[in-house]
Amino acid sequence: MRAFPDSRWRQPHQKRADQLRGLWRYGAALAIVAASTLVAEGFYRVFDTTRLSMVFLAGILITAVTLGAWPAYFAAAISFFLYNFYLVEPRFTFQLVSAEDVLVLVVFAAVAFLTGSLTGRIRDQARQSADRAHTTAALFEASRELSAADEEDLIRGRIAQHIAQAARGEALVWDAGRTWCAPIGLKPPPELLEALASAGGGEHLVGPWRIRPLRADGALLGVAAWRGPADQDAAPEDDPLVAVLADLGAAAVMRARLAAARSEIEAMARTEQLRNALLSSISHDLRTPLAAILASASSLKDFGERFSPEVRADLVTTIQEEAVRLNRFVANLLSMTRLESGALDLDRQTFGAAEVIDRVAVRFERPGQPIRRDLTDGGLLASGDPILLEQALGNVVENALRYGPAGAPVTIRAWRDDGAVHIEVEDQGRGVPPADLDRIFEKFYRSPGAATIQGTGLGLSIARGLVEAMDGSIAARARADGEPGLVVGLILTGSTPHAA
Amino acid sequence: MQPSLGQILLVDDEPQLVRALTPALGAAGYEVSVAASGQAALEHLAGEGCDAVILDLGLPDMDGKTVIARIREWSEAPIVVLSARDIEQEKIAALDLGADDFVNKPFAVGELLARLRAAMRGRERRFSARARFKAGDLEINFADRRVFLQGDEVRLTPREYDLLRALARYAGRVVTHRQLMAAVWGPSAHMDAQFVRVLVGQVRQKIEEEPSAPRILLTEPGLGYRLVAEDDGG
Repeated sequence: MRAFPDSRWRQPHQKRADQLRGLWRYGAALAIVAASTLVAEGFYRVFDTTRLSMVFLAGILITAVTLGAWPAYFAAAISFFLYNFYLVEPRFTFQLVSAEDVLVLVVFAAVAFLTGSLTGRIRDQARQSADRAHTTAALFEASRELSAADEEDLIRGRIAQHIAQAARGEALVWDAGRTWCAPIGLKPPPELLEALASAGGGEHLVGPWRIRPLRADGALLGVAAWRGPADQDAAPEDDPLVAVLADLGAAAVMRARLAAARSEIEAMARTEQLRNALLSSISHDLRTPLAAILASASSLKDFGERFSPEVRADLVTTIQEEAVRLNRFVANLLSMTRLESGALDLDRQTFGAAEVIDRVAVRFERPGQPIRRDLTDGGLLASGDPILLEQALGNVVENALRYGPAGAPVTIRAWRDDGAVHIEVEDQGRGVPPADLDRIFEKFYRSPGAATIQGTGLGLSIARGLVEAMDGSIAARARADGEPGLVVGLILTGSTPHAA
Repeated sequence: MQPSLGQILLVDDEPQLVRALTPALGAAGYEVSVAASGQAALEHLAGEGCDAVILDLGLPDMDGKTVIARIREWSEAPIVVLSARDIEQEKIAALDLGADDFVNKPFAVGELLARLRAAMRGRERRFSARARFKAGDLEINFADRRVFLQGDEVRLTPREYDLLRALARYAGRVVTHRQLMAAVWGPSAHMDAQFVRVLVGQVRQKIEEEPSAPRILLTEPGLGYRLVAEDDGG
């Protein structure tokens, strides 16, 4: 890659202004000399003295300090001429006769030279540091903005804008057939686009356009092209800044790309984590009932005649219960899949929630395991899908039974309030820490201390999915009476008999 | 009531599986005690003792492998592991820690009882000096290192014989790759399981009727090998 000429940052159209200002400066020098002459004339009139070279010297000094070296030389020459012509006897003649005349000329020239060059140097330094400050500010602004952006497209657009600003012209960034132009709406010529498509090597020129590939870590991340103001060729002195901007932009694009890759990897890791949790859950929750069923069935087959009728009945009951459990688990898995793929069939209708609650209670009720029902009325018309509500409520009740002490009653309360149907399931388990009350509805969340209790961490998350699919809501709280235990509340849109 | 074949400790936290297994174990002639956690199992074993342990690896209070390690610190009671886990490493670790065999969930009780019998028999024989082994057509004479198939002598290399003897010693039970390596190449041998595979292939050529569909020397995928159980009363 060709090295850029090492020149300092300067604004291109400042050259013309410099030229104009140059002429103006000589005019100003002339004015200062004229003023010196007027002052000298005044002194001459008042004090009748012609030893007034100091007045001109002061004028030269002022010129040198304010206008620089060359106007100062100019002023020195004019001053010397005027002083000699106007004040040195014989007046109104110009002659170099005495040593004093020569001395005055030498002093004028020396003061002009010393002061002017000193001022010029200071001025140059000031301008350089202003330029540097400008460059730094431009780079700072660009780097701040580019590092804040994390989207590739946005970054490319900003690169183009920054380069256009730095070049005081137009710029565009090209990548894989797409262009980002600054100013927006810029129509790049077709031959430039062709050149960009085939660019990839070093930096080169196409007409007035300068082209530089955007590279970071050896990867080509696009191509930048820019040109100076329309009436000028590409100004080589802007190249270093533009080059730095291009590299900065390339680094930002790379960073955005890496960040995107990283978040993708993180997302994959999360998916992987979920999948592993799901697999181990399926492995455990499908195999446990299957193991009980297979063991019971093969026991009956191998030893059936030797078992007492009670043992046989017990084994058959195990088979039945575990088959039901298995079926419930499969239903939950299917619901979860449907919820996640958005393929849940919602048969929205007006139905009696009380009836659904009764069905769920009957399903889970056992001798020695009461399920209390506390309903304000026998209808409780709600809007939604009764089958989904039954599954959701079933999951909540199953959860309550599982975490409560064996035989402790689970209470289902339901009432109508403000047009909505409220259902609450209260258990006497050990409850959930307040901070985790929301998390129990997360997939695979298991309450701390629940490790000894069988469960997948799927039931409540599916319940939430189902209830929310019916535009309802579900939440958990501690028991209101201060006893240990958990209350899970469902709220469904109510329906009035008239509306139905 | 027939005399008890032994006291079995069933360690499982899933009540439905305990309910399903207890009657069959009882009908097969064992007395069954149940522990629902690792701690309870260790306490029971320390208190009343037992003749064999059926251990579910997934326990609520501690890792099943820890339970095996703790039991093996002082007890030689045979342990048959129930595992619903597909992870071979888990089973290998359990076997290496001293479990005698495993049964994959779900299983038929017949399979569990067969493994239990082999594990209990293996324990008895490990400490008995026996001269002969007989399983179906296969007969091994430990005294003079000779192997017979249907009465005809089979010529085995010393390594092949060592492999077969190691498998016969634990007949009916899984023997891991590592155990076989130690038996054939010595306890400090660290080699690829491929060596064992090749050696098993050679032995199968000589003792199996159809080496690609073995009936005597069986593969336990990912774990090791199992020689068919010895004939009863052999």
